[in-house]
Amino acid sequence: MNLFRSEEHARRWKDFQPRSEEGFITLPDLAGFFGTESRRHMLDGDYLSTWYPRRGAERRAYLEQIGKTSPFWMGTPDPPAA
Amino acid sequence: MPDLVLIDRAFQRIMRALVDSGRAPHYAELARALGLNAEEGRGLLRDVMQAYPIGWLHPETDYIASFPPLNNLPTQYRITVRGEQRWFAQCGFEATSATWLFPGDTVRVDAPCLDCGDPVTVEMRDGRITWVDPPGVVGHLAFGFGPSRGRPHYL
Repeated sequence: MNLFRSEEHARRWKDFQPRSEEGFITLPDLAGFFGTESRRHMLDGDYLSTWYPRRGAERRAYLEQIGKTSPFWMGTPDPPAA
Repeated sequence: MPDLVLIDRAFQRIMRALVDSGRAPHYAELARALGLNAEEGRGLLRDVMQAYPIGWLHPETDYIASFPPLNNLPTQYRITVRGEQRWFAQCGFEATSATWLFPGDTVRVDAPCLDCGDPVTVEMRDGRITWVDPPGVVGHLAFGFGPSRGRPHYL
């Protein structure tokens, strides 16, 4: 989960995986993905019990909103190969 | 049965210490702050990390290595607030979440591009991106989320 100067820089990275061609995200989308409601309460006294459990659902909803619904992003198993 | 209120208090104490000083407390310091003995503090720390599995202890130790969005172990994602570079983010993605730990302040993220080593800089304030250099900066998820991908997704 890295920041690169551009997509071309990422593709030239020695560890770039072909599968991760779908792993790009714009900076505004990334800031939204990591700025969902629960993340705004990390200093609250009840963060761990109240807010952290909401994080997963928020993240899935945000990924759907920006169209990143593949198993790669959603963390779901890949469909069986045909 | 772990005491959920105590786990919440411990979490807040760790996060607050990281924000205030740039480093996470040792479990003995955590214990003292919460009126526990050191061994109770160690158990409490383990309970916190179990409840917050996106962070981790350094292997074979009870030292906090990662407590996202911040990292106790330095990474290439350096965080500067009010002119002081005391903090590190767990990864490039979590770096964009650090803004929520410093309300009202500009949070600057500096990192080398892993391709060329040239700088990547992002500044945020209360969740808004206020400066990006170069303008084409992108996030990249190398291995995908989920255990089926086989590698830690934060890499």
